[in-house]
Amino acid sequence: MEPAHTTKWIDAARPADPALAHPSVIDTQHITDELFGFSNIPMAVWIDEAGTIVRPAEGASIEQSPMRDMEIPEGLPERLTRLLVEVKSIPDVALDYRAAIVDWATNGADSPYVLSADEVVARSQPRGDDEARAAACFELGEHLRRSVGPDAAVPWWREAHRLYPANWTYKRQAWTLVTTAEGADENDLMQGPNDVYAGNWLDDVIASGGGAAYTIVPQL
Amino acid sequence: MILHTLAHVGTDQFADHTGWHPKPQGLCQGDVCVPAAGSLRSDGTIDIEVAAQRLGMPLVHDEAHGVWALGPATLGGKALATATAADPELRTHDGRPFRLSSLRGRKVLLVAWSSY
Repeated sequence: MEPAHTTKWIDAARPADPALAHPSVIDTQHITDELFGFSNIPMAVWIDEAGTIVRPAEGASIEQSPMRDMEIPEGLPERLTRLLVEVKSIPDVALDYRAAIVDWATNGADSPYVLSADEVVARSQPRGDDEARAAACFELGEHLRRSVGPDAAVPWWREAHRLYPANWTYKRQAWTLVTTAEGADENDLMQGPNDVYAGNWLDDVIASGGGAAYTIVPQL
Repeated sequence: MILHTLAHVGTDQFADHTGWHPKPQGLCQGDVCVPAAGSLRSDGTIDIEVAAQRLGMPLVHDEAHGVWALGPATLGGKALATATAADPELRTHDGRPFRLSSLRGRKVLLVAWSSY
């Protein structure tokens, strides 16, 4: 995402009360993926007043998805029906997670949701040779996309997808660039089959074990 | 981290992208230090190939475009080697530099999001 494209989202997230304002920063190089272990969105880390992480990167939804209790209409195309089934099966602990954040904000280090340093490291995302190499491939692809053109990114992003299939950020970033129609106001969230990458959102979610495997569920 | 040569890189740039800072005891992130003999050059820069080897960082090369990417450290097999938060320089949407350390003294909920 280019910084200039973010304004409408940042404006939408800006609290009406200026006292509640928060910084919004842009990570065009995916540095925070490497430094904190983000592998999907939304994810969050908690950092205390001294700069110590007290919860590592984990799923960070704070509102229940309206799709969770939605009845899937009959007569939809089969693929769309299956997509909605998988979306509805994504574990939703949003209200518990939001309550945990409030507890931490209120009680600080005494909050039961604060983890020890050893536990923070142990619960952080896996990073073996494949995951680290995937990060390098993804970053190289992004650099070439910007400096050379979209086609130059493709082989490196394919390799990142192969090495770290559980990283949805790498996949969704790549898919949306090839499935969103040129000039469209919104990105294509369906991220369906395409001629550039082997995967797509629905088939990859199913292959990974379904919606239940799609997010890093906070262990509260 | 994107590199156009494998010769060396400045310590600030290296620390910004990797979270690892050169100290007398080695390359350090928070309270974790890795002996890294040879990684700090006499001119004060980092020898990328040596540092990559010491920290288990992959180097990926695109020959056609003459560019490398340095991946993150693999020590311990986890994304975090320490609970000390990294402090990269990021940008606000209007281009101003921003560091998490500017929020020290306050709790920070760092949320990653994209419109995809």
